[in-house]
Amino acid sequence: MAFKAKMRIEGSTATVRLEGELDGRSAPELNELVVRAADQRVERLVLLLEDLSYMSSAGIRSLVFAHQKMPEETEILLVGTRPDVAETIRLTGFDRSIVMRETLEA
Amino acid sequence: MPNALVVFEAESAVPNVVAELDEVLRADGFDVAFSTPDDLTMRTEASPQPDLLMVSASLGLQRVALVGQHFMVDGRVPTIISFPEDDLSALEECVEGGFDYVTPPFRRTLLRSRMNSCQEKSELTTTVEEMAALASLREYERELHIAHEIQSGFLPENLPVPAGWEVGARFRPAKQVAGDFYDVFTIVNGRRLAFVVADVCDKGIGAALFMALIRTLLRHTAEHTGASRLVEDEFLLSVDGEGAGGSAAPLLSLGAGPLVQAILGTNRYMARNHLKQGYFATMFFGVLDPVSGVVLYINGGHNPPVVVHADGRRTLLPPTGPAVGILPDSSYTLGYVQLDQGDTLFAYTDGVVEARDIQGHLYGMPKLVDLLESNRGSDAETMLEEVDASVRHFAGHAEQSDDITTLALRRTPAGFAGP
Repeated sequence: MAFKAKMRIEGSTATVRLEGELDGRSAPELNELVVRAADQRVERLVLLLEDLSYMSSAGIRSLVFAHQKMPEETEILLVGTRPDVAETIRLTGFDRSIVMRETLEA
Repeated sequence: MPNALVVFEAESAVPNVVAELDEVLRADGFDVAFSTPDDLTMRTEASPQPDLLMVSASLGLQRVALVGQHFMVDGRVPTIISFPEDDLSALEECVEGGFDYVTPPFRRTLLRSRMNSCQEKSELTTTVEEMAALASLREYERELHIAHEIQSGFLPENLPVPAGWEVGARFRPAKQVAGDFYDVFTIVNGRRLAFVVADVCDKGIGAALFMALIRTLLRHTAEHTGASRLVEDEFLLSVDGEGAGGSAAPLLSLGAGPLVQAILGTNRYMARNHLKQGYFATMFFGVLDPVSGVVLYINGGHNPPVVVHADGRRTLLPPTGPAVGILPDSSYTLGYVQLDQGDTLFAYTDGVVEARDIQGHLYGMPKLVDLLESNRGSDAETMLEEVDASVRHFAGHAEQSDDITTLALRRTPAGFAGP
């Protein structure tokens, strides 16, 4: 499935919906959005991952990149992460730096 | 028949100049068409591409140039020659702007020779540009080749193999340079065998530079941490393993100090100096006691290696800490596993389980585990070959998208041991 990333910034929250596969080819697209969000000095980065079917190590690197790029207090929230993708994140140990939730409201 | 397009403002035209051009061009065998600059925007893709553009200098330099842009195909514009209507200063402006020109009275021979010289000039420019592009491409390829050669030097030339053991590795980069690496070397005066399989996130030159750094840090630290150095880091909390049972014995084992220092030191160095660049590496770092068969290891966020035991069991060695370089304060647990005769430890990078076939399906962990189990009795080389062949067969003609690295360590069963 082709990769799609759409960002909406409302107040101090940037919400990015990701679709398809986040790998070496698509990661730069997400990095670009992260830079834009960081420029807006958002306090919260929400990634909606219900429709993200795959994440490679290059994708994890995008998350690390986001973590570096945002001010330290910025919360990074992953919502609706599929089990395979969550496993990839857990494997690298990066789950310690982010928050994962089933739904946005939870 | 060649096409000529004459472009001028309808109302400002000096009719006899245009008529004269038309006559001369036709006499020279051209199909002649006319257009105003505004009408050019109405052109469709089906409109013929002119071989020659005659543009009135009265449009002014900028608009003459814009007319040329209209006909740009693959970065090239047709031959443009400007001509004056009644305003010679406008023509001067175009000539200074680099356009060729003709002035009335128009003569066939003059026009023809001007066109020829224009053509040659533009061909020459194109050739020079093509040569420059080709030269820089060659230069780039040469640099990449050098990078490849240098990186090969960061992989071990020969693997040290303790008596009673088999050690082998395969390395297949997706590009000329890779982020994957493996390493096998002895520590504590040859009493322990250290082995590493690592995957620096990302691919290509960036990953290759970090591969060189991380491999060096790991090896240098492991080789230079004395056996007497105790595991003093508060980061190290506990021991995990199939036979852990609260025993602290492995901690006091000779290889533990170098192993822990190599991982913690490299993580600290990466986090302190390179966190901003966002590079990190997942790795499996094992230290084997060839006499007892005990492997102490740290798995930093890496795909779990598989141990296929001769007695039919199978053990996975999951992460005992995060990827190296991802967090400044990562803590790692020491794992350990016992290898008996006929047992094989198989480590690999995600390029194996995330290899894709032509439809985009992943190779996957279950397929790998099945294959390893069906090769329970095989020697290390055969197992590496089988995995390599299986992944190649699965991928078929699909492009290899990630580096693929595998390493097998097997304790030779009794009766097979060499002298």
